[in-house]
Amino acid sequence: MSTAADASAHDAHHNLMVDNKKLFMWLFLGSDCMFFGTLISTHLIYRKLYPEEYDPTHLFSLELTSFSTFILLMSSFLMALAVSAMHKGELKSFRRNVCGVIFFGLIFLGCQVYEFTEFVHEGLTLQSGTFGSTFFLLTGTHGVHVAIGVIWLLCMLFYTQNGKVDAHESAVDAEVAGLYWHFVDIVWIIIFTVIYLIEFIGKTGGAH
Amino acid sequence: MKDSPLDIPLPSIDKSGENKKYHAFVNLALILAAVTGIELVLVYLPFSIAFVYSVLIALSLFKFIAVIAWFMHLIYDKLILTLAFGTGMAIATGTYTALLFLLGSDRVAPVEIPGIVPM
Repeated sequence: MSTAADASAHDAHHNLMVDNKKLFMWLFLGSDCMFFGTLISTHLIYRKLYPEEYDPTHLFSLELTSFSTFILLMSSFLMALAVSAMHKGELKSFRRNVCGVIFFGLIFLGCQVYEFTEFVHEGLTLQSGTFGSTFFLLTGTHGVHVAIGVIWLLCMLFYTQNGKVDAHESAVDAEVAGLYWHFVDIVWIIIFTVIYLIEFIGKTGGAH
Repeated sequence: MKDSPLDIPLPSIDKSGENKKYHAFVNLALILAAVTGIELVLVYLPFSIAFVYSVLIALSLFKFIAVIAWFMHLIYDKLILTLAFGTGMAIATGTYTALLFLLGSDRVAPVEIPGIVPM
C-alpha cells in the first residue's frame, strides 16, 4: 500500500520523465538568458552608438578579470564534482566541494567589489554616462546572481550538516543548485569576452 | 578517510558512469583554463582585428557550450531540457539581433546626450 503511494508521489514529480524541480530550473535559466541577453544587448548597442563616449581600456585590468574568470570556471568544476558526489551518495565529498565553490564565489565577489571601488574612484559611476550605467547594471546584476548562489550553497551546507538527508531529493536539489551556479558561470564567459576583452582589440599594440 | 554514505541508500548508482564523468570534468576544467589563457594572450598578438574578433567569439561560444553540455549535464539529460533552455537562448539572441538592426543601423541617428558625442 505504502509502496503504491510512494510510487504515485514519485510519478507526480516526473510528469515529463524529468524531475519537475529540474525542469523548472531549466525554464528559469531560459528566462534568465533573456534577461541577461537584454542587458548585454543594451550595453553593446550603446557602445556602438556612442563609441567615443568612454575608453575603458585604461580602467579595466585584464589580469584581474582573467583571474576572476579562472576562479569562476574552477568553481564550476568543483560544483560539477559536488553534484557527482551527491549522486554517488558521498555526502562528505559533496560538502567539501561545496565549501570550495563558496570560497571561490567569495573570491570572485571580492574581486568585483575591488574593481567597482577602483572604477568609482576613477570617476566611472552609474550616473557618469551610458557606459557606466549599462556596465554597472550588467556586471552588478551578475554579481547579485553570484551572491544569491553563494547564499543558496551556504543553505545547502547547513541543511546537510547532520548527514540525515533524503537521498533522491538531495541529489535533485544538488543538481538544481549546480545548474544555477553553472549558469552564472556561462553568463560571465560571455561578459568577459564581449564587455572586457573586445574593448582591448586594436588598442594593445597587438591586433591591427 | 572514507566518505560517509547517506542514511538512505541510493537505489542503483552507476558508479562507473559517475567516474567517467569525473574524468570528463577534469579534462574540461583544464581545457577551459587553457582557453581563457589563450583569449587573454590573443588580444596582445599582432593579428588583424577581424581575426581576433572571430577567434574570441568562437572561443567564448566553445566555453559556453562546453559548460552547458558537460558541467550542466545537458548531453546526459532529456531533450526537453535542451528545448526549455534553447528557447530562452533563441529569444535572447533574437533580441540582440533585432536591437542591432533597429538601433545599430547607420540610418538611425543616435539621441544626443549632453556631454556625449554620438557616432
